[in-house]
Amino acid sequence: MNSWIAIGALAVMGVGIPLGMMAVSALLRPSVPEQGKSATYESGEIPTGTATGIQFNIQYYMVALLFVVFDIETVLVFPWTVIYGSALEAGAGLATVLLPMLVFVGVLVVGLVWAWRQGAVKWTSSPRAARQKTERS
Amino acid sequence: MAGGVTPLQGGMLPDTIAGLLPFGGLAADVVASLLGAFLIANFLLINTAFAGPWAKRKITAAFTDRIAVNRIGPFGLFVIVADAVRLLSKELIIPEGADRPAWDLGPLLIPFSALLGFAVIPMGSGLQLADPETGLAFAFAASSIASLGLIMMGYASNNKYSLLGGLRAVASNIAYEIPLIVTGISVVLFTGTLQMSAIVEAQRTALVSVAGVTIPQWFAFVNPFAFALFVVANVAEVGRNPFDIPEAPTEIVAGYQTEYSSVYFVLIYLGEFIHIFLGGAIAATLFLGGPAGPGPAALGIVWFTAKIWAFFLLTQWLRSAVPRLRVDQFIEIGWKGMLVLSFANLVLTAVIVGVITTL
Repeated sequence: MNSWIAIGALAVMGVGIPLGMMAVSALLRPSVPEQGKSATYESGEIPTGTATGIQFNIQYYMVALLFVVFDIETVLVFPWTVIYGSALEAGAGLATVLLPMLVFVGVLVVGLVWAWRQGAVKWTSSPRAARQKTERS
Repeated sequence: MAGGVTPLQGGMLPDTIAGLLPFGGLAADVVASLLGAFLIANFLLINTAFAGPWAKRKITAAFTDRIAVNRIGPFGLFVIVADAVRLLSKELIIPEGADRPAWDLGPLLIPFSALLGFAVIPMGSGLQLADPETGLAFAFAASSIASLGLIMMGYASNNKYSLLGGLRAVASNIAYEIPLIVTGISVVLFTGTLQMSAIVEAQRTALVSVAGVTIPQWFAFVNPFAFALFVVANVAEVGRNPFDIPEAPTEIVAGYQTEYSSVYFVLIYLGEFIHIFLGGAIAATLFLGGPAGPGPAALGIVWFTAKIWAFFLLTQWLRSAVPRLRVDQFIEIGWKGMLVLSFANLVLTAVIVGVITTL
């Protein structure tokens, strides 16, 4: 049997079971909409502005950028790990099988060191946040 | 070592069920697959039902020297039923300015992604839904879909805490996913295949025999360093303490799930618990021999369940014992510590495997 039929079946279950629970809940639950309930939670204060308009740390963007690089690298390491053992057993030398990957990983390590020194993975806080910090000099 | 493992075909759960059906052909395949998937999904739902409303409270209470759920039924077990009814019959409150349908799709994606990962996990006793050659890559890929649900929930809730929680969730998932996968594929250097059943099969041979006790070639024994790294990255990937900064109740209320109530709350928690079990299942398959254990092979599912519950117990233990990291520490440990260590592990494993094979 094609294994993707079974995986597709589990995907159907993965959607079907939550939808079933939502249907059961829709039958059971009350609905009493009031303005006080539907206001977004902001520690009891009246919410100000929209959530998507807030500023957040640039670091979230930097690590996402870094992730794209390393994720592609991980994808390229996958096939190498699969053929590594059988290539060695087939008589290929370490210089042919291992060395290119060491160079590849080495190039990325250089890239990581560069990003590290540039401060891409260091959590920065804005001058205003630093000024507002009251304790822990 | 590598290459000696023959890919296993057949013996999957849908094949077994299809053999029992009175009809054949594609219809039998589809019906058998759906029945098998229903069985696997319910196995996980039952585990989650025990883990969520009952075991989590019991374990936390035991760690903090308190008494938890002990009123309804033996050992308070019927609290599972009571909680299920209670949670499903809560009013669904839709926050003002919620970005629908993204707000509704987020909680659907979380259990979907966690369940989908289990399609390729060998659970022993013939309980495995599918066994594609790309099994391990599929399991990682399926469990990563959850990130999408988290950022959707965070963005669509129109809540500042939710947005920050969603961003933190994605930052944590991407920071620890690379160490997780790179450590995971260091095992593939030994097995030479991504097929889950073959990875389990490769761990059946004996590593050493000491005084009549045979230690199997579980990769946790072959490469304990990789196992430790994998478990740490796994705890971070499923967002448990000490890496639970996406939720961080003392900082950002409840993170991405702040605005969710009723059945959506249940779905998020369902997904998170299945995700913990999926993390445990991948760790068990890669490093702990999958469903292997003493006794006949039919006991496989028992050992497998014990292993995923051991990982669940570990997450709850950490929850009670270890304080949360700060977000800057979290990012630095991920990118500076875990990433470097995982690549060091990959290179070292490759060198050792290479030297042993060529000698």
